Formats: sequence, structure tokens, C-alpha cells
Amino acid sequence: MKKIILVILSTLIFSTAYSQCVSNQSFTLTPNGPYQPGDIVTVDYTLGAFNGININWIHAFQINLGVGWTNLTPITAPGNPIGSTGNWLWDLQNTYAGGFNFGPGWRFVNSGNAGWGTSSTGPFTMSFQVTVTQTCTADDLSISMEVFDDCITGGWSNGTCCNDPAYVIYNGNVQVTIPLTSNINHY
Amino acid sequence: MKKLLTALFVLIGLTTYGQTTINPDTVCVNSVGEQYFVTNTATSTYQWNVTGGGGAIQTGQGTNSITVDWGGVSGLYPNAIEVIESNASGCPGTPVLLDVYILDLSGSAIGPFCPGDPSSTLSGTPTGGTWSGTGVVGNDFDPSIAGVGNYVLTYTLAGCQTTINVTVNNGPVTGPIQHY
Repeated sequence: MKKIILVILSTLIFSTAYSQCVSNQSFTLTPNGPYQPGDIVTVDYTLGAFNGININWIHAFQINLGVGWTNLTPITAPGNPIGSTGNWLWDLQNTYAGGFNFGPGWRFVNSGNAGWGTSSTGPFTMSFQVTVTQTCTADDLSISMEVFDDCITGGWSNGTCCNDPAYVIYNGNVQVTIPLTSNINHY
Repeated sequence: MKKLLTALFVLIGLTTYGQTTINPDTVCVNSVGEQYFVTNTATSTYQWNVTGGGGAIQTGQGTNSITVDWGGVSGLYPNAIEVIESNASGCPGTPVLLDVYILDLSGSAIGPFCPGDPSSTLSGTPTGGTWSGTGVVGNDFDPSIAGVGNYVLTYTLAGCQTTINVTVNNGPVTGPIQHY
């Protein structure tokens, strides 16, 4: 019922093409880059606020990693302040009913309607760990976070989706060191 | 004082990094236990390859230092020794190569001599080495200096040696002139 009423209001007032619903994103990397093979990095990310248009609720946080990363491990799941009943589920991959592919990251499982996200507007803080692969090439080490609403995931349709761009957390490449060997000596 | 400091630095350099081998390296034919090394990095591993010259790695594969036994065929063997260093991530560096010249010395036989014979030139192959032993003066053997006896003369080049045997015999003993 709440959504029905809000649908009407949002259709009249808030419908905006290519709107962005996220704000006040921030992160910390521990340690800071650049990174070498084997380095383990902890990422703390916070989405300060999510104000969905068209009653779109926040539904998933997707972590996008360059090929130079491995061993993605969740540490702390997002909170759900004043949100819908449900929980954030860590998932490497999930295909929603409408065919949208998600992962890896956290997705909200709404206890009332599996297709909806959470009504919480945040803040959402989460952390995860990644490891630089053992490589001899300067592989991509980019990290970004994408936030999907339940419009994008296909569980809610009330006009334009949030369509927020991926938030860049890190851009860089593996710092590869090639050994420099001395000349061969003979005793 | 300046020379003293220079000598000190050279000594420290040799102690720390070992000698610097000129390419090609020279070894003696059939030499054994020849040690080759590169500057060590504790976290690296080293893949050595020895090809040609009958060379075979005896110890040290995987480390920064190996010993090699060489074969019996002399000659120049390009790129006979190769080492590839890999760091802790398994990333290989550029191969480092060393040519090896296997040296087989020989000396030409001379003699036998009598005590009063003139000096004889000593000949070694390849040229460029030095002779030593009793009766040797420069690259000559002087029987009058050596005196009567059997001698072993040594030819040395680039750390390799070969020997020849030389004999100085007693001269004939002539009695007094008799008158029949």
C-alpha cells in the first residue's frame, strides 16, 4: 500500500531520466597502493545516502574488480538502518528473476518481497578484502562499487531506474618487479 | 694515501662481489668443480643451464652458485652457461649468458741434451703462456744451467698447466790420449 501511494506521488513529482540516487560515497584502502603480487588489501566503503527516485529501493552493492585481484572476501556486510525486514546476503553471482546478473557483492533479501530491496536510505558501510594475484604482468587492479536499485534488478518498475555510475575506489596496475641479474662470475 | 684507499676499495669490492669474469671465461680441459655464481637475492631462485663443452652441473641448481665439471674437448662454446633468475612471484628476469673457452695445453718435446748443449726454445700450444722449471730461462731451456738429470718443465696459461719431461745426459768420458 505504501508503495502504491508513493508510486503516484513519484510519478508526478520525481520522475527524472538518468537520475543518480547515491550520494556521499567514501572509502579507505589499507594499505594504500601501489600494490605488488601477494599484497592483501582491505577496502572500507561507505554509501552516505541512497535517495531513490520512483520509489526505487536500494537492492545490491556490486564489487567490480580488475583481473589482477583474487581472493575476494567479505568482512563486514552493509547495515540496514530503518530499513525493510530482511538481510544483506553475500553472493558471488546471482541472476534475478528478470534476468539481471549480479555479483560479486552484497544483495538485500527482502523478507516480504524477494524482488524488492530495502527502504533504508543509509548510511551503508561495508568492508571486504582482496589479494593481488601472483603475476608477472601489470594486470588491472581497478576496484569500483556499483549500487543497484530494485528497478535495475527487475523487482520494481515505476519509471526510470537510478542508473548510478560505478564509484571508482582504485585505479592502478600490479607493480611487477623483474629481477636484474648480475653477470656470471667464475671463481 | 690515495692509492692505499683505492686498493682498499678494490679489495672490499672483490670480497663482496667476487671477481668479475671476462667473457669468454677460460677453463682447463677436464676441469672439475668449477664454481660459477651471480649476486644472490635471498628471495630469488636461479635456473642454470650448461650446454656444450661436455659441461655438467654438479651442485647448486636453484641457487645463485653452481659447480660444473667440464669435458675433454677444447674449443670455444658460446653461451655455454645460462642463468635465469626468478623472483618470489616467479617472474623471470633476462637470461644471463657466459661463453666458455675450454683450454687444452700441450708442450713440444725437447731433448735429450748433453750438459754443454746450447739453449733450446720451449714451445707451448696455445701460445702466450709461461714456462717454469729447472734450467728454464724465459722460454728457453738451458742444459748447462740445469745440469745432468731428469726434469719436469711446466707450461702455464690462463690457470691451466701441462708438463714435459726433459733429460740432460752425462757426456762421454774420454780417457787420456794413448800412444801405441
